[in-house]
Parts: sequence; structure tokens; C-alpha cells
Amino acid sequence: MPLNTGLAAQLASVVGAQRVLLRPAELRSYESDGLAGYQRKPALAVFPGTRDETIAVVRALARTGTAFVARGAGTGLSGGALADDVVLLGLHRLKRIVSIDSDNARAIVEPGVVNATLTAAAAAYGLHYAPDPSSQSACTIGGNVAENAGGPHCLKYGVTLNHVLALTVLLPSGEVVTLGNAEGEADGYDLLGAFVGSEGCFGVVLDATVRLERNPVSVRTLLADFSSIDAAAHAVSAIIASGIVAAAMEMMDNAVIQVVEASIYASGYPTDAAAILLIELDGATAGLDDDVARVAAFCAGAGARGVRVATDPADRARLWQGRKKAFGAMGRISSHLVVQDAVVPRTKLPAVLAEIHRISAFHRVKVCNVFHAGDGNLHPNIGYDANSADESARVHAAMTEIMQVCIDAGGTITGEHGVGLDKLPYMEALFTPGTLGAMCALRDAFDPERRANPGKVVPVRSCREWHAAPSARPSRP
Amino acid sequence: MDATLHADVASIASQVRSARSRGATLRIVSGGHWLDAGHPCAAAERLELDGLHGIVSYEPGDLTLTARTATTLAEIERVTASEGQWLPLDAYGMSSGTLGATVATASAGPLAAAFGTPRDHVLGCEFVSGTGDVVRAGGRVVKNVAGFDLVRLVTGAWGTLGALTELTVRLRARAEEDVTLAVIPGGASVTGAAELAWRWSRECEHEPFAAELVSPSLARRLTGLSDSPDARLLVRLGGNTSFVRAAMIGVAALGDAQLVAPGVWGELAVAEPAGAVVFRVSALPAHIGTLFERASALAEGLGGYAHATLARGVVRCVLPAPADSESLTRLRVDLSQLAVGVTIVGERMPPSLWSSVSRPRASDALAERVRSAFDPDHIMNPGILGGAWLTASA
Repeated sequence: MPLNTGLAAQLASVVGAQRVLLRPAELRSYESDGLAGYQRKPALAVFPGTRDETIAVVRALARTGTAFVARGAGTGLSGGALADDVVLLGLHRLKRIVSIDSDNARAIVEPGVVNATLTAAAAAYGLHYAPDPSSQSACTIGGNVAENAGGPHCLKYGVTLNHVLALTVLLPSGEVVTLGNAEGEADGYDLLGAFVGSEGCFGVVLDATVRLERNPVSVRTLLADFSSIDAAAHAVSAIIASGIVAAAMEMMDNAVIQVVEASIYASGYPTDAAAILLIELDGATAGLDDDVARVAAFCAGAGARGVRVATDPADRARLWQGRKKAFGAMGRISSHLVVQDAVVPRTKLPAVLAEIHRISAFHRVKVCNVFHAGDGNLHPNIGYDANSADESARVHAAMTEIMQVCIDAGGTITGEHGVGLDKLPYMEALFTPGTLGAMCALRDAFDPERRANPGKVVPVRSCREWHAAPSARPSRP
Repeated sequence: MDATLHADVASIASQVRSARSRGATLRIVSGGHWLDAGHPCAAAERLELDGLHGIVSYEPGDLTLTARTATTLAEIERVTASEGQWLPLDAYGMSSGTLGATVATASAGPLAAAFGTPRDHVLGCEFVSGTGDVVRAGGRVVKNVAGFDLVRLVTGAWGTLGALTELTVRLRARAEEDVTLAVIPGGASVTGAAELAWRWSRECEHEPFAAELVSPSLARRLTGLSDSPDARLLVRLGGNTSFVRAAMIGVAALGDAQLVAPGVWGELAVAEPAGAVVFRVSALPAHIGTLFERASALAEGLGGYAHATLARGVVRCVLPAPADSESLTRLRVDLSQLAVGVTIVGERMPPSLWSSVSRPRASDALAERVRSAFDPDHIMNPGILGGAWLTASA
């Protein structure tokens, strides 16, 4: 972007010169998000510290017709928070928990509040914020809203969308609007529902009113050990069909188990298992152990070699540690990691996992599966060296085929990570031109000038009269 | 009004495009149950969706079902029951109500306390926008963030962004046990009862499927409730045997409790007389005690009744016809002063009352732009949202 030098001065007058970054060396940390395979250089980065500063910054960008990308902690896994030669608007300094209303089980937070910080603050009231992406110790509520983030416990409690009651949103034009209803029933168009998961293309969250969940009275965590992925997948299907609503149901295959157990996050997983299921049941004490027994029986029926039940909080935390840190552990063994995020109907899990295995063998790439089995939300990940052109090409070919298999099974291309840049090439395989056109029209209602996160989510050519944005160039990890 | 019975989405798209080119407006109709709800809608033609009927696919193992828009909730109930499953969506009105209308109006009943509103049940949909484009949004999987969320947008939009033609919903397995208790909370006055019931619902260990507080004269209309001048709390408990047993003991600790037949929920859904005025008052759940007490007294004073979904902080008021505009206007003012940020939403009313009672919500430029993005000429159900609000907020 031919940067308007007057703009940097204007922004500095709002946030202070030290909060406007211009030099390439300073901007380097902002060239990637959680998917390190993508790098884009922002033209400038600006970090407001208050709501008023944020409004002033966005209005300055509006006056100068400047495109921008909002960013929270930058933990996203779709390349969505990358600013390609446009302004990067960092919101992590807006980290005030405005209020926690324990009677009504809700909190008002600024966008930069870290997910786990909110849960820690709510603990005093016996409450927690349920969406728990694996990055929860770093990711922000603003980013969670933008991505409609999920996490293991979304199986029972729902995703971010099910926990946001109202948002104060700063539209790209600089106008401030309220979406949803923080007090009573929301009526009229569900613009809140449209905004959550809009990946920074509709505006910037100034504050969010979120629903908190009561901490469960009792929790049981089961570790089931299988000698084949297929058996584990069948156990998942059987449990889902039984109607028992587990709080979480996660699968890890042998490749992931090996990586985790060799890391500092070792959790005592059986290293000779082809797959393990981590299943959590929670709620009232009465009846909980009946469900535990039924789930254990479904696992045994599908061929589990053993099922261990943990009730002690420390024991449960250890079992979860390996799951939550699996991505971090994988980072140790490969310089680059492709993280996929497809969802398939749960009855299709065994067949799709078998196909993934076949495809990875064919392309000689090593897929590690660690995912939300209860939702059918797959995360086939491939570690590789991006400096090897041959390996990169094989990884890309394998991933393209895997995504097609998921689409053909009646699935979708992303369950919780968002489209961003990474899934753009698959959007046209999933949606008709009419549907993509409707998405563009909706975006135009929020951002008629198309300045917020340009070139993400919907392929440029799907939108009538859309002028090619720099960040929409076809790209490969 | 002209009407064509459409057999497929292409035929509907064709009528929409034709209407648009002729400058005609369309009233979307499927089951027809909302036609007498009085919502103002000035349209020249009908867009009949009745022909789009039937279940397209049902995968019990996935707990998902895809149906055409005019499929009735009763049919979905029947088909899923054979697999021990259900769609926990109990909108008010007859079970001959259609899935499409329930979603288009985002109608919810007592089960929304535990299972959410249609916005939480719909995984995907197909609709014909006001430009005649066929849009397929969402999908058949339970978790999906691919692209912008058009599904949530059209749910509750009353057809003004497009006519829903097909929907995919998420099902649940039926509980091993599903029982309903009626309890007189604390055996106290209505005031104490509402407050007590809310505290209980907030703190109870055994979360119910539904906890609906009903005013005395509504209680008298329901079969099996012993005659008494008190408000009742209807509690529906579902789960395995051990859970339900423990939960029943918890409810009994709240006051005099009796088991009632599950049919009581069906009776509640169709309790209101034809031509009744129905509106909903809501605020923060913590205000539900005050809100229910006052709304219930006001409604009963006018010969009607009220019931409240505690967890959602919503009180539904039903007044028998004919209600006059002066008393309704007074009622609206009284209700809006009950708590901070009260929201009042009109549900049913004779057409003559909408104009005198409704107070249009402040113009919302963003909503207007969204409307125009999907229906640039405002041909779909024109005016119907204008009457939906008795008042935006106090």
C-alpha cells in the first residue's frame, strides 16, 4: 500500500508514537499467525489502548479510505489475521473485564481479554467461559468472536456463537452499533449471529457480553485405548448415537501420542495405542456414573483394550494437558505444520479416517490426527519442511485430496479455525456462486467500502465488482 | 391473491423473479398459522410454500435431519420418535405448524430453556432471496464456520431476506426418562413463588429440560393440576433413571409437587383462544420474579394469563380478544417500567390493534442495508417486521 505518511502521524497522535510500528524489523512478529506457513508484511501496525482510541483510529482509517486487519493474539490457524501491505490493528491492549454479573451468569469484556483469564476471573463465582480453544491461554475473546472459536467442550456447551449475548461493534465506517440484546430477548435480524465468525470482515468488537456457564458439580474423564483408529471411530459413532451428551470427546492417533509422550507435556498416554479417546462426562453427580459405565461399555464393544476413569482433578488435568498442548508438541518435530479443520457427519468418521490414511500413504506424508471426534471436527495435521519444494508439493496435494474427501462425505472445510486465507481455495468447491454472492452482499452491508480484512473468507472473483485486494492473491503454504 | 403451488425451489425462484420484474410484492405462506397473527404485511401475491413438503434425509446416527420447509413439526416428531430421537423445539401453536415457519419466526417454547431457540437448532438451509437467487447456507454437520453465517441471519427474519425452502436441523436422543412435575414454589404468594422458582432454577444441580412458571388462571386450564389460587412451576426432567430420581427429590424440596401427564406441555402450547393478543416481555433473568409477578397480575386483571420461561427471562402474556387499544397501551407502559431494559415483542394481535399499539423501533440503518442486500426491492413480506415490535425497549 502506498502508505499515506500523514496517516502514521495521525494515528500516532491518537495512540502515541511508540504504539505505531512502521519499521520492517518491528513488524516482523506480525507477519504470521498460528499457521507459520503464511507470511504477509503489514504496511503499518497500530495498537490502541482504549475504546476511545480504537474508535479514533478506525475513524482515521475511514477518513483516509485505508484498509485494515484487526488482530487479537494472532493465534488463529487460517492466516486470517495477516495484513498484506495494509494496516494491522492490534487490539490486545483492550483487556479490561468490564463486569461479571454472577446472578445472570454473564460478563462484559473488552476484545483483548484472554479467554483463560475470563474463566479464571469467573471462577470466584463458580462460573466459567465454556468455549475452550487449545490456544485459550493466549487467544482473546475478540479473536474468538471473529472466528466463532470452538474447543473440546463445545460438544456439550456450544461454540462461541452460543455464548455471545450482545456486542458493541465498531463498523469500518467508524459508526458504533449494538448487536444482540444484553438484557432481554433479541428480536429483529440476528446481526449478532451474522457478526460472530465474520473473521474481521464486518468490523471490530469494542465489547462483548458473554454467557458464563456454571461449573459442573462432578466431572469424569475417561481414557480409552484402541488398537485401531477404526475401532476408536466406531466407538465415537456408537456413543453419539446413544444420545449420551459427553462434555468432550477427543481422538488422538499414534503419531500424536508419540509426539506428546516424547515432549514435556507427556500425559501418560499408552504409546503403543493406535488411537486413544479422551472422553469427559460432567454434570450432576446422580446418574453420571451410569453414563460413564455405558460409555466404557461402548468403547469396550468397539474393541478398546482398556478404559481408565479419572475423577481426581490433578489426574484429569494431566490427561488434558497432552491434548491441549498437542499442537505445541508437534511444533518441536517439524519446522512447519499444516493444520486442517474439516468437519464430517459423525457416521462418516471411520470411512473418512481410512481415506485420510490412504491418501497420506500415497503422497508419502505423515498425517497426525488430533481432533474433536464428538463433533466430527477433524484436524489432520501434516508436519513438513517448507524449504523442500518436493515435500511442500506432496503436502499440498494430500491436503487438497483430504479436503475433497471431507466435502464429498457431506462435510465442510472448517469447523472452528475459519476460512481466512488458508481455506479460500476450497470455498468454491463447497458453495454455489449464488451463495458466495449472498455472503459478499452481507459483507457489503457491514463494510460497503470493503476495507476490513480485504481478500479473506470469500474468493474475490465470487463478488461482483470486487477489485482484487493484495491479500487475495492465490497462495500456498 | 394469485397463488401457485410450487413443487420445487426452481419454481419458487421463478415466481420471485417474476414478481420482482413486475414490481409485485409477495406474502410467504406455508402452514398458514401466522396469517391470523395480525402482523401487518401488504403484499399483492402469495408465495405458497406448501408444496415443499417432506423429509429429504434423516441420518439417525448423525442426529441430523433435512426437511423441506412445509414439513410439519408433527411429522418430524413422528419420524424421529421411531428412532428414539426428537427435535426439542416446542413452538406455541398447533403441531401442524411447519418447520419453515417456526424457523422463519424463530419461535420457541419452554424447551428453549435447555435446548435453545431455532437459532441453536438449524445447521443449514436453502432459501430463495428477494432477487430470486437460490442460496444454500450452512451444511449438515454440527460445527461449521465456512463463510459468513447466513443461516443465523435468515432464522427469525420473517421471510424478509428470503423464503426458506429446506432446512437441516440437529436432533437429540430422547431421554431414558422424561417426567413432568407441577410444584407450588414455597406454597407462597405469587411474588415469593416467582423469586423462589428463579433462585431454584439458577442453583439447582439437576438442570431441567424446561421450567415454566404459569399464572393461576392458566394453571386452571391445564389438565391434572389441582385447583388452587397459586402460580405453578411446571418442571420437565429428562435423563437417565438415577438423574431423574435425584432431580425429582430436588424439585419436591421447592414446594408441594405432583406428577402430571406430559400432555400438559401440548395443552400449554395451544392454550390461547383464537384471536387472543399475545406478546412477550423480557429482561435480565434476575428480574424474572418481578416481571412475572406484575405481568401476570396485569394479564389476569384483563382476563388473560401469563407464563414465564425462567432461564430465558421471558414472560409470555396472553389476553383474550377483544382487548382494546387503550388498555393495551397502558399495559405496555406499565410493563416497560417494570425493570431496566425491558424488551416487549408482539406475537399475535388483531390487525386493527397493531397500528395503535405498536411503536416502530428506531430506524436501524445496518438492518436496512442487510435487508436491501437480500431483497433490494423489498418484495418479500413487506411491512411484516414493522409490526413485530410493540416497543424496542423502555
